[in-house]
Amino acid sequence: MINVDNLSKFYGSVEAVRGISFDVQEGEIIGFLGPNGAGKSTTMKILTGYMPASSGSAHIAGFDVSQDPLNVQKNLGYLPENNPLYPEMTVKAYLDYSASIKGLTGLEKNRSIGSVIEKCGLANVESRVIGHLSKGYRQRVGLAQALVNDPPVMLLDEPTSGLDPAQIVEIRNLIKDLKGNRTIMLSTHILPEVNMVCDRVVIIHQGRLAASGELDSLADSMNEKNRTFLSVLGQEDNFSNVLKEIDGVENVRLRGMKNGEVHYEVDSAKDLRASLASAVYEKSGKLTEIRKESITLEEIFVKIVSGETGSVEESGDE
Amino acid sequence: MNSVWVVCKRELSSFFFSPIAYVVLGVWSLFMGGFFSSAFAQYGMISMQLSRNPQLAAQYNITPTSWILSQQVFASVSVTLLFITPLLTMKLFSEEKKQGTMEMLLTYPIKDTQILLGKFFSVVSIYLIMLSILMIYPVLLSTFVRVEWSVIASSFLGIFLMGCSFLSVGLLASSWTSNQIIAAMSAFMILLLSFIVEFLSASAPAMLSAVLRQMSIGLHLKNFVAGIIDTRDIIFFLSLIFVCLFLSLRSLESHRWRG
Repeated sequence: MINVDNLSKFYGSVEAVRGISFDVQEGEIIGFLGPNGAGKSTTMKILTGYMPASSGSAHIAGFDVSQDPLNVQKNLGYLPENNPLYPEMTVKAYLDYSASIKGLTGLEKNRSIGSVIEKCGLANVESRVIGHLSKGYRQRVGLAQALVNDPPVMLLDEPTSGLDPAQIVEIRNLIKDLKGNRTIMLSTHILPEVNMVCDRVVIIHQGRLAASGELDSLADSMNEKNRTFLSVLGQEDNFSNVLKEIDGVENVRLRGMKNGEVHYEVDSAKDLRASLASAVYEKSGKLTEIRKESITLEEIFVKIVSGETGSVEESGDE
Repeated sequence: MNSVWVVCKRELSSFFFSPIAYVVLGVWSLFMGGFFSSAFAQYGMISMQLSRNPQLAAQYNITPTSWILSQQVFASVSVTLLFITPLLTMKLFSEEKKQGTMEMLLTYPIKDTQILLGKFFSVVSIYLIMLSILMIYPVLLSTFVRVEWSVIASSFLGIFLMGCSFLSVGLLASSWTSNQIIAAMSAFMILLLSFIVEFLSASAPAMLSAVLRQMSIGLHLKNFVAGIIDTRDIIFFLSLIFVCLFLSLRSLESHRWRG
């Protein structure tokens, strides 16, 4: 549904986006990640047909964004970064305006407006002036206008920025509900959000594609070692030596001690949770916690951004 | 065409949500009413003097239409519009740029020309309301004396065209900046310049003087108010409107490039 091919954008002599390529399949929610200033918003603006690319091409729903912007825009719902709205309009008047400008008329228009008002939970504020609404409601209005023509592709630029935790959860759930067979591209720098909402991530850094793929495969590709975390109650000081002697253990680190509970971190080539647990049991220790630590998105992100790994390409096999 | 109407409608409703429309219409009514009543009072005195001196009256050939409307009320329209139209047009693009809604608007499936025309027609609609207020005075006058409706009609045509060209200049200025004050000031300066060239032409060398005279907006109105419809004047105003709208369109496109 979204095809980006070697896209670049210069602002004067500054190159904001440098030859990015990726594809998004129909029905996918993709997380578009990167630190501030990485070129996320620029890429999105190019995809909406708002801004022309300096070179390269992009297609949405099969239409070229620079050759055929009107058809692209008909298939697109866009929520820009700071969600600009007309403060003097009422919610209903604003949705009526966006629906009309997107070409809806008559009964169809009224039905669509009614359905987005319900979907986005705006029923009790529909006749209020947008300028008087809270930020959470304004964000819903922004989503509602993007959704009003029931577009197959949605681009959401940082939809949860500046909201309080409860509102963030609401907006996230709303986005999950939107999924269906819609293709959604969600730009953010809030990583847990991606874990919860997205099928796949594309990470860009300094205008370049740094990584893309499913979260799990991305984590596997960056995980050189298995890391196991375990907590043991009432053990002697030399227990780390016991752990070291277990076959396959490469490194043991003491992670802390609290109320007689000792935390260890064990590196190994393969998953050793079972042998670790039985070792603790044999030494009559009390195992209070054991878990396999997988690399988090935060760690992947930090590794990429700090340049620890080069370019990691792990394309999904859809 | 439907999209043009949608943009125009939103723009109009925002004019009437903000105090601008009321201020502009109020100031307009106040000024025009003031000009009319003072001209009306003056005409009473002059006609009394002239009735005692028929030779002088024949020499001047003053009628209520020519004196009150053409020479006083219609002649002051251009100066009043010079101050009022920048207030009407300043927010057209500047406000959207400031709020960021411009980005939204440019990502909707609508052509730039449709946006431009929608905005232009919205201020033209308000201008038509202003003209209908102005229409009160000829109608009022016709209840006392005989008025020359053909001269009034040609004056209104001229005033309409002149106003539209003022509005197109304002629209252009608004497309340049996200600051409404700067938009209003630039429009005002450009319009003021078109008044000043008329004075400059008096002292300029013959060749330049002719060119400067033709550039003056006020001068092109004079024929209409005198009851003469000259195609040169019509073409002057229409081409001014066209050039301003065309440049605004370019400016809108450059907004996309610059982001």
